[in-house]
Amino acid sequence: MDVKITKQDAKTFVQLTGRLDTTNAEQFQSDITPLMEDANPDIEFDCTDMEYTSSQGLRLFLMLQKTVSSKGGNMVLKNMKTQVKEVFDITGFSNIIKIV
Amino acid sequence: MAQDNDYGLDIHCLMILEQYRENMPVYKKMEEIVHGVLEESLKAQGIYINALETRVKTEKSLAGKLELKGSKYKDITDLTDIVGARVITFYIDEVDKIAALVDKVFDVDWKHSVDKRKVHELNTFGYSSLHYICRIPKERYFDPAMPQLNELRFELQMRTALQHVWATLDHDTGYKSGVEIPHEYLRNMNRLAGILELVDEQFSQMRSEINDYRRKVQSLVSDGHFEQVALDGDTFRSYLQIGPFDNLLHKIAAINQAEIHPSGIMPYLTVLQALGFKTLADIENLIKDYEEDAYELAAYQIAGTDIDIVSSTIALQDLLIVYILENGGGILGLKMVFDKINGESDYNLKRAEQIMDGAKNLKFMNKNNG
Repeated sequence: MDVKITKQDAKTFVQLTGRLDTTNAEQFQSDITPLMEDANPDIEFDCTDMEYTSSQGLRLFLMLQKTVSSKGGNMVLKNMKTQVKEVFDITGFSNIIKIV
Repeated sequence: MAQDNDYGLDIHCLMILEQYRENMPVYKKMEEIVHGVLEESLKAQGIYINALETRVKTEKSLAGKLELKGSKYKDITDLTDIVGARVITFYIDEVDKIAALVDKVFDVDWKHSVDKRKVHELNTFGYSSLHYICRIPKERYFDPAMPQLNELRFELQMRTALQHVWATLDHDTGYKSGVEIPHEYLRNMNRLAGILELVDEQFSQMRSEINDYRRKVQSLVSDGHFEQVALDGDTFRSYLQIGPFDNLLHKIAAINQAEIHPSGIMPYLTVLQALGFKTLADIENLIKDYEEDAYELAAYQIAGTDIDIVSSTIALQDLLIVYILENGGGILGLKMVFDKINGESDYNLKRAEQIMDGAKNLKFMNKNNG
């Protein structure tokens, strides 16, 4: 999993490439945690090149969503491949995490 | 400098003004204590109010008052509104509830307190509030360096938001209750006061009726009389408390020994209503008639994956998908469900098409084909 973080004004863009699973979930969490320190985090994940997410990835996104919401911020996952989106759909998480 | 300003007052009034200046640190401390005690007590009692205001009368305002009627005050201790507090409630019955609370936390000077709600004569007008004159009891706060904190009095007004509106507008007319006013205005002012009083009573009554309705719904739900309970936000919330989807949810989670992540089910209410569900019995029937097939759908989707977490909404979501599939709702029916749950998007159409396609392999979709 390759994580590329860029900042533009107050917004953070995160480009995800590859598979998010147990082998790299911890690293992903360490990469993302600093972004949660902002007062009103505004984070956009570009999932164009994300190939897969495991349950561990789901848990991380849920945790991020919870933190961002509690800080009055905004988080969105964009351009998800169908096979990745399906994981969110069949587990019932599509209406908890903002996916466009 | 304000200290040198005598506001054109006579010597008696200037003496009172000087006492006011000397007492200012006490007034400021008193305001702080009164605000804190009220805020804490209201919170502890779970009374939700519109506003809590406290203030220390300004020197200019006191000078104005002394100019008008300074001779009636012996000294500063006769003025009971130097520190003032106001609690504004939403409902009229809460004014009495707060009054009872105030009686517990402060010493009320009953001789000088007045229920202005009850003192209107036929030739006066108004829609007034309850005014208590109080002291801070020593057991609530005592500072040996500032004994006046327990001796000086403050005024506490308790009123509804509509009484507050009346008081604010009344102030603007220039007429005060008890003062003779032109007859042509008296009738209209009384009508307005009557309307506000009526509205306050109606709001209070409406709240009581809604609370009665909620208690009745809870009782019907817990007794299982679902057919008597119309489906709405309140009843659905009560219904969810008995965990109607738990059996299916745990069966689905057990497919992969998955963790259940708690999520809000309330957004599904609009879907149920859009599908024409009228009572809680309709949801009970949905569970009874489609639970097995919803489990089959979930097993088809999840078994064989490494997913080990599901949302607590998954049971109802799958019930609705199966309901649409078996009742000919088709792709558009599924899209409607996803649009309402997840927000409208083109992807929802794609997902609906995928589910329709995959469902061809499920037993329940081929029941009627032998």
